[in-house]
Amino acid sequence: MRGVDRRAFQNFDGVLFGLVTGLVVVGLVNLASATHTDAGTSDALRRQLLSLGLGVVALAATVAFDYRHYERLALPLYVGSLALLGLTLVVAPLTRGSQSWLIEGRLQPAELAKLGMVLALARYFHRNPAGQVRRVRDLLRPALLIALPVGLIVLQRDMGVALLTLMVGSTYVALVRIPKRAWVAVALAGVAALAAIWIFGLQSYQRERVLDVVDPGRDPLASGYQVNQSRIAVGSGGLFGKGYREGTQSQLRFLPTQHTDFAFSVLAEEWGFAGSVLVLGAYAMLLIWGLVIASKAKDGFGAMLAVGVVGMLFWPAVLNVGMVLGVLPVIGVPLPFISYGGSALVTNLVAVGLLMNVSLRRWVF
Amino acid sequence: MKGDLGGAARLGAGPEVSIEGRLPFLIGAVLLAFGIFAVRLFQLQILQGEEFEGIAQGNAVRLVRLEAPRGDILDREGRVLAATRPAFGVSVMPSDLRSPERTTAALGMLLDAEPEALVERIGTPRGRRRFQPVRLAADLPFDHWGRVESHRFELPGVLTDVRPRRHYVEGELSAHLLGTIGEISADQLRTAKHAGYRAGEVIGRSGIERLLESHLRGRAGGRNVVVDVAGRVVGEPLDEREPAPGGIVTLTIDRDLQRAAEEGFEPDVLGEPGKRGALVALDPRTGDVLALVSKPSFDPNAFAGGIDAVTWKALVTDDWRPLQNRAVAGQYPPGSIYKPVMALAALAAGVVTPQDRFFCPGHFRLGRRVYRCWRRGGHGEVDLREALKQSCDVYFYQVGLQLGIDRIADFARAFQLGSATGFPFGDEKPGLVPTRRWKERRFSEPWQKGETVSASIGQGFSLVTPMQMAVAYAALANGGVILEPRVVLESVSRDGEVVAAGNPTVRGQLSVAPEYLRVVRDALEASVAEPHGTGVRAQVRGVRVAGKTGTAQVVRLKHTEDLEQDEIPIRHRDHAWFVGFAPVDAPEIVVAVLVEHGGHGGAAAAPIAHKVLARYFEKQRRDAVPAVAVAEDSDAGG
Repeated sequence: MRGVDRRAFQNFDGVLFGLVTGLVVVGLVNLASATHTDAGTSDALRRQLLSLGLGVVALAATVAFDYRHYERLALPLYVGSLALLGLTLVVAPLTRGSQSWLIEGRLQPAELAKLGMVLALARYFHRNPAGQVRRVRDLLRPALLIALPVGLIVLQRDMGVALLTLMVGSTYVALVRIPKRAWVAVALAGVAALAAIWIFGLQSYQRERVLDVVDPGRDPLASGYQVNQSRIAVGSGGLFGKGYREGTQSQLRFLPTQHTDFAFSVLAEEWGFAGSVLVLGAYAMLLIWGLVIASKAKDGFGAMLAVGVVGMLFWPAVLNVGMVLGVLPVIGVPLPFISYGGSALVTNLVAVGLLMNVSLRRWVF
Repeated sequence: MKGDLGGAARLGAGPEVSIEGRLPFLIGAVLLAFGIFAVRLFQLQILQGEEFEGIAQGNAVRLVRLEAPRGDILDREGRVLAATRPAFGVSVMPSDLRSPERTTAALGMLLDAEPEALVERIGTPRGRRRFQPVRLAADLPFDHWGRVESHRFELPGVLTDVRPRRHYVEGELSAHLLGTIGEISADQLRTAKHAGYRAGEVIGRSGIERLLESHLRGRAGGRNVVVDVAGRVVGEPLDEREPAPGGIVTLTIDRDLQRAAEEGFEPDVLGEPGKRGALVALDPRTGDVLALVSKPSFDPNAFAGGIDAVTWKALVTDDWRPLQNRAVAGQYPPGSIYKPVMALAALAAGVVTPQDRFFCPGHFRLGRRVYRCWRRGGHGEVDLREALKQSCDVYFYQVGLQLGIDRIADFARAFQLGSATGFPFGDEKPGLVPTRRWKERRFSEPWQKGETVSASIGQGFSLVTPMQMAVAYAALANGGVILEPRVVLESVSRDGEVVAAGNPTVRGQLSVAPEYLRVVRDALEASVAEPHGTGVRAQVRGVRVAGKTGTAQVVRLKHTEDLEQDEIPIRHRDHAWFVGFAPVDAPEIVVAVLVEHGGHGGAAAAPIAHKVLARYFEKQRRDAVPAVAVAEDSDAGG
């Protein structure tokens, strides 16, 4: 094993490390601005730094063991995360209108569940290669793997995270090879199921509630306000931005939840088009690099794991930036590495650790 | 693609190739998503950047208006009549109230108010309304306000402010002159004339405040401040323009005379309602209004902060109409103060000479009607001087009949009676000078001779305002020049431009021989100075005063004729007049007094004129004393 490790570290992935470090630093700098008050370092920044420390340790720990061991751990972890979700339903106090916060809001089981789901799906598609899936029927079992955590999160009334989890899981669909007719069938079945649930499955007050939950402001009047203020913040940044801590929209708190869901608005306002494109470019590079790692992975599990991690980083970025720029509806999904949030940061760093693990060990053997 | 199968078959052994076929598709998806974002960013930040920058600035920069104090209004000696004082206010920002119950309880204690009332005032605003301050008090006593101010840091959400507010230093004094202010109305705001005004701004509504609005109004300043989403001011203002106070207006009014005049209308017995009526004091050389009183009056301070509905209703529904400026808008029958006009008309027309005598038996018979003289026993043989001095009615009945109503009217018009004097505000009324034509047009009935008899002693249809009589007597005093009354001595605009009242405005000149004027003046002096004169109560020691009393009948009722004035219901009692001037040889002041339902002019009106004249000459003597003292000193030294 020692020899293996040495070889692995000779293959240290500098690109991945550099991109992630860059994004994390940008996130911290931006958080410092978004939560800046005259009172000095904000609590949010301190907590985020703490989470970062924890995340780095978790990342190191994730990298330390050969990822192939994780294949065996995949199902226990998956079941464990489901159990945690279930526990949350029972004991967690109602916070922020949904029940997803555990242990005084320091741990979000939904984040862990995403990780567990990716591991379980990677294991499944490793054993039943996605490329070989040619029948819709073959998708039922992975669909179940996705449906369980999503269902539990829906029960927690956290529709944003549920949708995100569903999308992360669905990433693997991009790899399957079912006929075009089957695609149409899948799509129609999906639409029909959604419509049926909407019409027959939900009472009208439940529909209202779903709409409310889909809308993170919970107050229908407030969501329009959020999007509008975010567009103003982004647009007023111009080419080079207003400068660090000079964003009027953010510093004067016209932006809602600006250190969490709308963190990218702060960045766009203060660093302008140049800064935003640079950060989004780095983000896109990270995702593409992840796909490259997947394609060069030594085995199927590694490749599937890498694809899952890319999905975990891709979908929240799309949902979040789309919301901030006003091209997608408002769904409370944080932007990985940039938005404030300890659980998300630790989970994302663990995910990066998995990616790094796959990358390091592609030459092993 | 075939390789996929092979790769998959080798489960865990060798590189997995199932991804590779999909790699371009997956990378394409990432590039597509981020490409869309880049385009969107370009659209928002580059194409619409300026537009959004403007909106962001509008979000964060707010112009705070700084109200400008109105200009001061001074009397002719520079003493302040209307000033601006700070008004101390307290508001609450609902969004910032940490614990509303504790705050309202504390505020209630500090403001001496019921906490429940405060809670009700604040209400439970929702949404953006929570960021709008609720005003709890606009004009607090300073010590109350000071208590709140000193506890402000323990009371988050409570705001204090100081705003300029109009203050009429002397309260009711000269209320009708100074006028009132109020919030600009929605109708006014729509007119081009008021383009520079904003809703809620104060504007002059009557009196000098309205007449010289453009002078008195200050120029509001402004301050650009950065505000956060809650509207709280953040940091230092970006820039500021100081408000410029309005210009200073100096009136022709003499505060001392004004005060003396107003004191004249105070009740004889404490606790009774004050006298009603009007007084005008003019300088017959310039037309300067030295004092102007209209009673009952009101406190203009009640309007300064927006008058409350109850006070307003009380003012406008009061039967005695305190808001009316009786000095210019009150029309009364002149009664005997008309007689000097008659006398001059008769002399000028050659109907009588000063020496012609008529016999007064106490009544005058015309056809079947008998017209009484006010003195039942009659005045015996009287010439013009005696007739004016004792106010003999019978003399003037006969003179009037010889003149005829139209010649009387012509002469009255020469005195500018029957038309406005040109006083610039107060809804001035023209009075009425009746003629044959007027009556035919008005009543479709021919003029009756008896009506000429009534008109000869200022009764019947004739109506005048106190201001008109003051102007007419000023002409008697100054040699026949009809002057336009004026109230503004000097005004300084906001920018320091001084506009001084120039030469008096002459509106007419009586064409009567100076000796006739002298005859009338002499008779009017006798009326005040000599025994049996009707105006003896207007005498001022050491000063030659001329004047004429008048007692104008309000209603002519058989059953009241033999009653004493205080036995008649007040609304039916006669109006009391006195108009006079002094000193006779070189008149400096004319005083016209009307006491509504005051009874006899000699008893009710002359004493008020006396007060004003006495104060005027007392001041003059006092001002002259130092000069005299110096002269004496130098005499002693020499």
